[in-house]
Amino acid sequence: MHAMPILTIEAAESLLGVLEDFLDSSEASFALIIERGGAILGQHGEIPPSIDPTTVAALAAGSFAATKELAHRIGESEFSALHQQGKERQIFMSAVNEDTILVTVFGARTTLGLVRFYSVRAVKRIASILEHARQQSQIPIDLGDTVLDNACEVFDERDGRRR
Amino acid sequence: MSIINYVNKEIQFKIVYYGPALCGKTTNLTYIHSQVAEAHKGELVSLATAADRTLFFDFLPLNAVVVKGFKTKFQLYTVPGQVIYNATRQLVLRSVDGIVFVADSQWDKMEENIESFKNLEENLQRQGSSMEQVPYVLQYNKRDLPNPAPVHYLDFILNNRKVRVPSFVAVATTGQGVFATLNAISRLLLQKFARENEAAAAKQQARTAAGSQATTALSGIAAAAARRG
Repeated sequence: MHAMPILTIEAAESLLGVLEDFLDSSEASFALIIERGGAILGQHGEIPPSIDPTTVAALAAGSFAATKELAHRIGESEFSALHQQGKERQIFMSAVNEDTILVTVFGARTTLGLVRFYSVRAVKRIASILEHARQQSQIPIDLGDTVLDNACEVFDERDGRRR
Repeated sequence: MSIINYVNKEIQFKIVYYGPALCGKTTNLTYIHSQVAEAHKGELVSLATAADRTLFFDFLPLNAVVVKGFKTKFQLYTVPGQVIYNATRQLVLRSVDGIVFVADSQWDKMEENIESFKNLEENLQRQGSSMEQVPYVLQYNKRDLPNPAPVHYLDFILNNRKVRVPSFVAVATTGQGVFATLNAISRLLLQKFARENEAAAAKQQARTAAGSQATTALSGIAAAAARRG
């Protein structure tokens, strides 16, 4: 497992550019680039308000990880792609590299074949951007003394509000 | 590891609630979900069996403080506590930033607490990490049940490493100790993140200084060569 790259503005914008091209060509609804632990690295497309991409990412990472274990049981190192079909929407997931997955949600406007076809190029471009980002040095963020104050409560229970 | 996104100005952390079966990991998340305002939480997702036992994981995304323009997001997960689901626990632990180990305070659960803690250590090692590297806190839950083990005994069996970690007594069903635990692990993660960034900033500064010194030295050599010429 590699250390995840820090997403600089340049890297994040390049990833968005790839997703934009991919969605334009494939006519899929939206796509997420997720880290295999479940965190989102990039997202693009028409995400309906009823869909929480954070939850989709966590479940997709879990689902992909589970099928990887399944692959091991039948002598494969992993299934490089995973497809789930519903009545109106489908999900196609493809492995980008050891740490990252491309998750694509699409409807009746397109087909699995088209999504799969265009995802191959997108995956290569994403892998290359992430590899480049990994080689860049980390840009530090100065969070200041706020977080070092032990008295600071991150979550406030009393009235259900965050601070 | 924490994920930083400079475009969305977000820092994401993954916290995993670990512990033996039926110790109250899911109850912690359920209570947190009931208390945090809608705007700052996502849906609580539970992948459970028909008997409400965690099969894969529970998941709760939370938005927390905004520091220096960066939104901090915490994603809370639980693992299934039952011994047979170890492969699943390993999957959920992937990329973990911080851990809450929930222990069951009942006397007859001590062996299960110790086994689960050892299992956590082994699973971290399997992914090339360790308890020394990943911040964690302990929660001694179910203090309301009759005859719980004393806190100093729980500390003796679970909090006996070189560096003692924060521990909290809790009754997750009523919420007692739940937010104290969550705040403690969140603070530890933010502090670790701040320390690491401070170190990275110092390194970068040193590199820049070394670069400018080298440039000065090169200019000196060039000037000397020009004088000789």
